[in-house]
Amino acid sequence: MEQRKMNLLIGLAILVLVFVGYGIFSVSVKNDLVRLDEQVSAAWSEIDNQLKRRADLIPNLVATVKGYATHEEEVLTKIADARSRLSGARTVEEKAAGYNELQSALSRLLVVVENYPALKANENFTRLMDELAGTENRIAVARKRYNDGVREFNTRIRTFPGSLFAGGMGFSPRPYFEIDAASREAPKVKF
Amino acid sequence: MNRQLLGSTFIMILSILLLVLVGGGLSAQIPYKPIGFVNDFAGVIDPDSAQLMEQIARSIQEKTGAQVAVVTVESIAPYPTIEEFSIELAQNWGIGRKGKDDGVLLVLAMKERKVRIEVGYGLEGAIPDSVTGRILDERVIPALKQQQWGKGLLQGLIGVGIRIAQEKGIDPKDLMIPASQIASRPKRSKEGIDLGPLIFVLIFLFIGGGRFFWPLLFISGFRTRRGRFGGGFGSGGFGSGGFSGGGGGSFGGFGGGSFGGGGSSRGF
Repeated sequence: MEQRKMNLLIGLAILVLVFVGYGIFSVSVKNDLVRLDEQVSAAWSEIDNQLKRRADLIPNLVATVKGYATHEEEVLTKIADARSRLSGARTVEEKAAGYNELQSALSRLLVVVENYPALKANENFTRLMDELAGTENRIAVARKRYNDGVREFNTRIRTFPGSLFAGGMGFSPRPYFEIDAASREAPKVKF
Repeated sequence: MNRQLLGSTFIMILSILLLVLVGGGLSAQIPYKPIGFVNDFAGVIDPDSAQLMEQIARSIQEKTGAQVAVVTVESIAPYPTIEEFSIELAQNWGIGRKGKDDGVLLVLAMKERKVRIEVGYGLEGAIPDSVTGRILDERVIPALKQQQWGKGLLQGLIGVGIRIAQEKGIDPKDLMIPASQIASRPKRSKEGIDLGPLIFVLIFLFIGGGRFFWPLLFISGFRTRRGRFGGGFGSGGFGSGGFSGGGGGSFGGFGGGSFGGGGSSRGF
C-alpha cells in the first residue's frame, strides 16, 4: 500500500515537472518568435524610411536635370509616375514592385545623363547623385537585413518546435522584399 | 503511463537541442582582424602618412569618442562590391561606440581600384553622403590618381576629422590635423609630419624616461620616422619586444558601433 502511494506521488511529481517544463519551454519559444517578429518589423521600417528618403530626393533631381536636359520629358515623366505609385504602395509586395519600377526609370535617366556633360559637371547634380547612391546602398543593406530576418522568422515558424505554437499565436510567414535582377545594381553615374 | 512520460521527456530534450542548433547559425566572416586605426593590409601606405593617420585617429577617439579606421586591401574578393565588403568589415569590427554608432571606415581596394567612406549611423547627420562624396572628389581621388595611396587616405581622414570636429564643436587643430590642411582644398606641406618624432621623444622623456632607456632614445626617434608611431607606454611593450605594436598602447580595439550603409564610393 505504502509502495503504491509512493509510486503515485512520484508519478504525479514527474507529471507536474513535465508540465512546468513544457510551460517554460513554450514561453521561451513564443518569446523567441515575438523577438524575431519585432526584428523583422524594425528592419522593414528601415527599408520604408529609406524608400521615403529616396522619394524626397527625386523632385530635386528632376528639377536639376530639367535645367540641362530639355528634351527628356518622357524619362522624367516616367520617374514622376513611378514615384507617385511608390508613395501609394502599402504592402511589402506593392512597395517592392514600386521600387523596381522607379529603379528602372532612374537607370534610364542615368543613360540619358551621359549625353549632357554640363549636367554631369554640375556640382548640385553630383551631390544629389551621392545622396541617391547613399540611399540606394542603405536600401540594399536594409533589404538584406530584412530578408535575413524574414528567412529566420519563416524558418522558425515552419519548423519544430516553433510550428507547434505559430498557428495558435497568429504568426504567419512574412513576405520577402524581392527586387528585379536588373535593378540589383544600383544606378551609377560615371564621373 | 511510464512510457508516455518517457516519450514526452525525450521530445522535450530533443526540441531543446534543436533550438540550440537552430539558434547557432552560420555566417560568412571577414578574414581580417584590426591591428590599429590604420590597417594597411595591402602594404601601400607610406610610413609618414601611416604614422600621422594613426595619431589623428587616436586624437579623434580621445577628444570626441568617435572611431575612424583606415583599411587597405589587395582585393575585396569574394565580396562582389566595395559597398558589401565595407559594411561587412565595418559592422564586423564594430567601429565606433556601441549605442552611439560613431564610427567611420575608409577603405581602399587596390585590385578593384575603388575607395569608399563608410559612415556609422551616429555620424550620418555630421557626415552626409554628399559630404563623403565631396571629400573623395576633392581630397582623396586627386592623390590616388597620382598613386599616392597613403596621402589620399590621409586626406580622406583629415576631411572626415574636420567634419567630426565641427560636429562636436572643437578645433580641428586639436585632432593633430596640421593647420595647413584645414582649408577645404589641401595644400602640400610637411610641417605637421615632422612634429611626430619630436612629440614622441618628449613624451618618452617624461613618461618612459628611466635611465635604462636613454640609449634607446635615439633609436626610437629614428624608428618613429620610418615605422609607425609606436611603443606602448602603458603596456610596457618594450620588454615584451617591440616597436611593432602600431600604437599598441592606445589602441584598445573598436567599440561595437553599427552601420546602415551611409557614405560614398568612387573608382580611381
